[in-house]
Amino acid sequence: MSEFVEQCRQEWKRLGVPDPLAEEMAADLASDLSDAEAEGISAEEFLGSSASDPRSFAASWAAERGIIPEAPSRDDARRRPLALMTFTALAATALIVAALLLLTGEPKVTLTATRTPHLVTPPAGSIPPGPQTRIVLHPVPPVNAAAPIEWMLLFLAIAALGFAAWLWTRSSHSQPPIAPA
Amino acid sequence: MRCMARESRRSQLLRGVLDLCLLAVMDDGPAYGYEMTKRLRDRGLAIVGEGSIYPLLGRLERDGLVESYRAASDGGPPRKYYRPSDAGRLALALGVSEWRAAREGIDAVLGPVKVVEVAS
Repeated sequence: MSEFVEQCRQEWKRLGVPDPLAEEMAADLASDLSDAEAEGISAEEFLGSSASDPRSFAASWAAERGIIPEAPSRDDARRRPLALMTFTALAATALIVAALLLLTGEPKVTLTATRTPHLVTPPAGSIPPGPQTRIVLHPVPPVNAAAPIEWMLLFLAIAALGFAAWLWTRSSHSQPPIAPA
Repeated sequence: MRCMARESRRSQLLRGVLDLCLLAVMDDGPAYGYEMTKRLRDRGLAIVGEGSIYPLLGRLERDGLVESYRAASDGGPPRKYYRPSDAGRLALALGVSEWRAAREGIDAVLGPVKVVEVAS
């Protein structure tokens, strides 16, 4: 029985329950379990299904007392994957669109870095004119695609999908324990 | 299997009124956790399998339906005693009315049903 109380105490510590409150709850629980034992009542009989899961029991008790944030509601838990699914779907759509444009269509617009000669004659004594880099938008033939929009879209979509995958992994690892009623 | 289903229904029914039962036994006089389960058991209500009363007591306290204080128990360590607050007594009265109304309606439907014992 003391092991059950000890596990509860550890869980409260992990959850950030203030020490005086955790001590108070542990002392009450230990006294009650001791009374029950003295009357021949097992922890299972006294605590019901909670006896086999001290962590959930401790978390549930602390949450119901309002001394730790409550586990997210089922509605919140349902809404979060929905937003994540929407984000993943958008990223996947962007990836497919970019891939289709690259495979089937010709890039219509591209961003290219071109070097153009300086057309203005600088005043005497200044730095001699040299080629400058300008970003210009103009149609290009399919073979000359230095940085086409389609490629940028593809890279962005891949990055977004990678981010979505990371979020899914994180989401599946951080599922809170279901607290008993 | 049938026994488990019966247990589950009992759990669900009890879960809906366990807060009222706790308020009712506290209304008889301040009690600490284990004392409440004893009072419930003495009245024929064993709460085995229904989950612990502690989270429920925590919720009642947070909602202002019970008040608590620490006092020495009979020969034992100081215990946390609970008693219904004024809001708790009101909630108990309203809850009991709701329970009785629900019970009457359900009895009217289920009462005439002849129960046949089936060997499990």
